[in-house]
Amino acid sequence: MIRKHESEISWKAGMLALAVHGVLLVAMVVSINWKAAHPPMHITEVELWDNLPTKPAKPIAVTPPPIVKELPKLEEPKPVEPPPKPIVEKRDPAPPKVDIELENKKKEEALKKKVEAEKKIQEAKKQADIDKFKKAMREEALRQDNAVENKQKEDLKKLQQELLSDERVTTAKQASAVSPSVIGEFTEKIKAKIRGNVNKTLCGDGNPELTFQINVLPTGELSGAPKLLKSSGNAACDDAVERAIIVSDPLPMPADNAAKAEFRNLKLKFKPNAE
Amino acid sequence: MNVANDMSFFTLVAGASLPVQLVMIILLITSLFSWWYIFIKVFTIKNASTDAEQFEASFWSGGDLNKLYDGLSSGRRKSQGMASIFEAGFKEFVRHKQQGRMEVSDVMEGTRRAMRAAYNRELDNLDAHLPFLASVGSVSPYIGLFGTVWGIMNAFRGLSNVAQATLSQVAPGIAEALVATAIGLFAAIPAVIAYNRFASSVDRLSVRYESFMEEFTNILQRRI
Repeated sequence: MIRKHESEISWKAGMLALAVHGVLLVAMVVSINWKAAHPPMHITEVELWDNLPTKPAKPIAVTPPPIVKELPKLEEPKPVEPPPKPIVEKRDPAPPKVDIELENKKKEEALKKKVEAEKKIQEAKKQADIDKFKKAMREEALRQDNAVENKQKEDLKKLQQELLSDERVTTAKQASAVSPSVIGEFTEKIKAKIRGNVNKTLCGDGNPELTFQINVLPTGELSGAPKLLKSSGNAACDDAVERAIIVSDPLPMPADNAAKAEFRNLKLKFKPNAE
Repeated sequence: MNVANDMSFFTLVAGASLPVQLVMIILLITSLFSWWYIFIKVFTIKNASTDAEQFEASFWSGGDLNKLYDGLSSGRRKSQGMASIFEAGFKEFVRHKQQGRMEVSDVMEGTRRAMRAAYNRELDNLDAHLPFLASVGSVSPYIGLFGTVWGIMNAFRGLSNVAQATLSQVAPGIAEALVATAIGLFAAIPAVIAYNRFASSVDRLSVRYESFMEEFTNILQRRI
């Protein structure tokens, strides 16, 4: 591997080669340092209701009024406060005028000064009083606001709960209202579509039956993977049917909204070999 | 699914499958060897050219050739490069001359043969390791590519078990696999560059040796 005359420099060369690889390694470690930026995931769950029951409309109408009622309350105290100012100012200037007409200028001036001093004191006092009053009013208003908000929140919660319970009731009612014939028709359609996609050779010659739970959106698309509830005993067959369900997306759906809700949680008993 | 693909070089190497890791190790070893040979060749070729320059300087300085020969043969170190060619040629020439009664052409022929043999030996030393560098330069990209193909095959095989194929499921596997190609290229590029460079400098040295042989033959012929 190494010639005789090269043995002197082989050590030096070996060290240099190692150094080069160290540098390369450091360069790679530094340059290949991909940090995937993870934006914080905000998952918001949105529940869409097709048809709101009519009952909750009233509570909704009831809750906003408190805001409307409170707002005028807030505004009312303020207009009340300013009026005292003008009244006080108007009253005070009036007496000096009367004095001016009746008495001497000196007296007038003295009086004026006194009056003005009094005025100032009174005004200052009143101003302070007004300020205090204002503050108190504001605080009260704030308290009231908070109370109102809390009330509103509570009301809203109640409302939502009511809505939810109402929804359940109504859906239950609607579901019961949907004719079973429509449901039967569309489950058959769904099964037919899936059956067309099943690779039947995987399910053997017998007549296996399996049960899948599938969640179907109103658009006919699947939400989530189909869940196997009862296996046919043949894993290949189960997989084949599961694939067929996924391939059959979107599934046929009835036009009626109430009937669509029936397919949200569909337990599908399926016989791949049945015709 | 939370994709936490913070990829560092080490996670890329550690995450690769066994064949890909083997390929990486093979490539690392070849790269180490090729760099070792590269440095050895750098030093030997540099030494050879400085030796040639020194010898040419002392040869053309007009001193006595017998003295030069004595100085070279008495040295502790075995003479290399141009000096060893001179040594072989002069030794043969002196021997022929001592035997006497030989044709001039025969003496010159013998001297040339001796010098040619020494020249070949020297050239062989200069050419050492160059074939290794050449094969590393041409083969290691393929080895790296093999590792990459294998890794990508694995990445896609893993994809077939998933219902919804997303890029984030394949991307780490492909990145791991591509590291093999990267290492292969890192091994190949310096090897190719070094090979070309060394081949040209060995060529130049050999031309220098040959021209020295011709000139030395002329000088010896004049002395007969």
